[in-house]
Amino acid sequence: MRRASALGFAVLVVAAPWLIAAAVPRQQRYVLHVLIFTALFAALALSYDLVVGHVGSLSLAHPAFFGIGAYTAAILATAAGWPFAAGLLAAVLVAAVVAALVGVPLFRLAEHAFAVGTLGLALVASIVANNWVEVTRGPLCITGIPKPALGSLAVTTLPAYYWLALSALAAVVLLYRGLTTFRLGRAFHAVRDNEPLAGAAGIDPLKYRLLAFTVGAGLAGGIGALYAHYLSVMCPEEMTIGLTVNLLVIVFLGGVGSLRGVLVGAVLFTALPEVLRLAPTWRLVIYGLLLLLVVVRSPEGIESLLRRAIGARAAR
Amino acid sequence: MRLALALATLLFLAFSAGAQAPPIKIGFASAMSGPAAITGEGVRWGGTLAVEEINAKGGVMGRKLEAYFADNKAQPGEAVSAVRKLADVDQVDVIIGQTHSGACLGAMPVVKEIGIPMVVESCSHPKIRELSGKGGNEWTFRVALDDEIMAYTFARYMAKQGVKTSSVLAMNNDFGRGAATAYEAAFRKAGVKLVSTEFFDPGQPDYRPVLARLKRANPEAILGVILASDGAPFLRQFRELGLTQKVYARGSLASAEFLHQVRDNPRVGDGVVEASYWITGLDPDWDRKWTERHKIPPRIHGSLAAITLKWAVVPALEIALKKHGKADRASIRAALTEVDVKDSPLGPIKFDANHQAWINMILIEMRDGQLRILEKLPTSPAFLN
Amino acid sequence: MYAMVAAGLALMLGVARLINFAHGEFFMLGAYAFWFAYRELGVPYPLAAVLAPAVMVAFGIAYQHGVIRAILPRSWHVQLIATLATSIVLTNLAIIALGTQPKEVPTVLSARILDVGGVRVAWQRLLVLGASVVIFWALHRFVARTRTGRAMRALSQNREACAVVGVDVQRVAMVTFALSAALAAAAAALVSPLFNIFPDMGTALTLKAFAAVVVGGFGYVNGAIAASFLIGLTEALAGSYVSYAYKDAIAFLVMLAVLLWRPQGLFGRRLGI
Repeated sequence: MRRASALGFAVLVVAAPWLIAAAVPRQQRYVLHVLIFTALFAALALSYDLVVGHVGSLSLAHPAFFGIGAYTAAILATAAGWPFAAGLLAAVLVAAVVAALVGVPLFRLAEHAFAVGTLGLALVASIVANNWVEVTRGPLCITGIPKPALGSLAVTTLPAYYWLALSALAAVVLLYRGLTTFRLGRAFHAVRDNEPLAGAAGIDPLKYRLLAFTVGAGLAGGIGALYAHYLSVMCPEEMTIGLTVNLLVIVFLGGVGSLRGVLVGAVLFTALPEVLRLAPTWRLVIYGLLLLLVVVRSPEGIESLLRRAIGARAAR
Repeated sequence: MRLALALATLLFLAFSAGAQAPPIKIGFASAMSGPAAITGEGVRWGGTLAVEEINAKGGVMGRKLEAYFADNKAQPGEAVSAVRKLADVDQVDVIIGQTHSGACLGAMPVVKEIGIPMVVESCSHPKIRELSGKGGNEWTFRVALDDEIMAYTFARYMAKQGVKTSSVLAMNNDFGRGAATAYEAAFRKAGVKLVSTEFFDPGQPDYRPVLARLKRANPEAILGVILASDGAPFLRQFRELGLTQKVYARGSLASAEFLHQVRDNPRVGDGVVEASYWITGLDPDWDRKWTERHKIPPRIHGSLAAITLKWAVVPALEIALKKHGKADRASIRAALTEVDVKDSPLGPIKFDANHQAWINMILIEMRDGQLRILEKLPTSPAFLN
Repeated sequence: MYAMVAAGLALMLGVARLINFAHGEFFMLGAYAFWFAYRELGVPYPLAAVLAPAVMVAFGIAYQHGVIRAILPRSWHVQLIATLATSIVLTNLAIIALGTQPKEVPTVLSARILDVGGVRVAWQRLLVLGASVVIFWALHRFVARTRTGRAMRALSQNREACAVVGVDVQRVAMVTFALSAALAAAAAALVSPLFNIFPDMGTALTLKAFAAVVVGGFGYVNGAIAASFLIGLTEALAGSYVSYAYKDAIAFLVMLAVLLWRPQGLFGRRLGI
């Protein structure tokens, strides 16, 4: 029964372009655009949750890795003429390598210091993107990033891009589940929940933290590359700490360390405001208040509230 | 009785026909949230006011206008969202805006893909001109002068005033960086020696370090690319440190907004000469309406959006309605290429092959705490080569 | 200026072990309170400069009651997110209520300039310097001498023991918040005549103050004050002699370097004020 409904859901998601075209033909492109953003943000939030939710390190440096990936792909595609797949791979690798390099010293820091240290890193990265004009073109942005193409298959239409974003999300979901469920996942959680105990059990906390940090950064870099190719421009404004705030809202509003929670959070934060069309400043006020309420009252996020509500009804 | 019925039917038909002529939808996109929200607020006010004004006079050839707004957060990615929302959800017929160059560059591929005309009111990146019209993007038009055009015109003027050496001080964003690059080339061409180039982050409270660097470089003149909001602390600290250079400015340093902020000591800005293409006083009627409504002086981006609507988009709508009998996206685009307005508050508006309008550049001087228009210089593509 | 804001932040971190991301917004609100009193109501400068901190004390207490009380016993993740959320709410409410137009509050002193052998300084800057010294001295006395101040110190060293001996943790936290809000507002009233007031002004400041708190040693107030001067100096020197565009990056890199070299900060021992 559950498998059947999951399959149904998957079919629904994949067929979305046709369904939307049938339901709201005039708005198809806008809706697809929102869905593409939602899928990319969901994937980015999942990569972030690997670090925050599963090894319990509140890193604020995620926009830096997103930006590094986006710029790597953008520069390679425009200045060096690399094909999309190679640029994507390079984006993942560069972001992961940078994360591994800075991760070693950063993880020596305790809680608050780690958060502030990663924040400093994010700020430095965005200042460099703004000022290293020779490479990033600074605030003039990199323009004319070509549409992605895989071999002879060019992704030019919105539905095609939607499927590409969806496949990326699926890949991230699979990796996320793989990393967080089996033995590795148990080790991650041991590190998060009780570091000394994990150490005593022969689990090296630093190793696992660094692993989650590096993988999360690599994924963020890859998503940055997809984002840059989709927009065809990349500017420093895309990697400010505002992005961290969005990610924190998605992850904590949805549910830390929970796949479904983060996905719910991404939909709530990316798609819903577009549908409701709130005034932008009020939207932020409402999100801030919601976030405050959720972390204070129900730290597991909205997803667990929903689950509890459904569970209560089922028990009745 | 029968006659009355027939009359009533006729009246009803006439009314419903009048009511059926659907409104023409105008979309405005600017930064409505985030640190640059001040520009979008102005665009929202200006757009609303201009649309009300046109509708009060009966609309465009009997068709009412309807304004829609979208937030681009001054970011390219959000600009894409804004264009898609305006085009697909609100179904607007023409877009005015983006205000910020990054957002303009982000929006350009999408307006081309969708096929909706976009008239740029103030993005000043030279690349927009290169890419528009025969540059490949048939859907983007620009009223505003870009940094290159202004730099070449301004540098010629400065050289004529006898300036031999100058430093550039620019804000560190798309606008400032773009302008700084343009002035480096323009100074070379005009024979002004560039001594140094400095950048500062907008919203920065402390200019003393950068002023100290300028003092050491010791140029004859300083070209500042700076907005009114940063201008007040900047000029105050400039005087505090006792710098004496002649200040030439680009941005909105010599503006009513600036004088409003320094109203305790308005003479702090004396001697500054600013190059611009908009200033209060070009359209006194508009200034009065805005001030009545919002209780503060007209803002540049809101006023530019309004002028763009009134003197570029509305004429295009009239041409489209006359020629094609309809104002859909394609006929508005075609009509925009034919717009030829001689006497807008900004000067002539006629889009060339690159869809650029060559409006006047105005020189504004602050003297005795007052703004006055020093000169209106015509611009021309000939200055660039 | 950084020093006063950072001192408030350090106080909070030291006593309540809480990173308050909304601290910069205290500064912003304090500045607006000052602007309202001075510019809109026409209250004379000295009075307005006292009024703003007073208003912010009330706000600090309200904030403690509404938000902090609930999150104080919780994990630091929760605290960080909650204060970050507060910061978003306050900034955007300020945009809605007060608009994005920057406010100017020049005083007589900010326009008058002292010229000593070519070094030119506005009188307002001297006032800032003088007032800071007085305020820091008062803060130091308060923490060292008064009963509440001693409770704050005790709390910062061992919270469990304090609870056992009967120190009311929430009450001390409240005093701490009121005090740090007042410090932020006092700083705002002193420096805003030199700069502009706008809704986003707090965000950048929070980050700088963080850097100072980290460099100075977590929650160590005197360290934070010293580190603030260090960061201000680094920025000014980097801005004048290296590159103005990169000066913030340099300040943060210094912070990172200090963190990695001495994770407990330059002057830090462990937590404790």
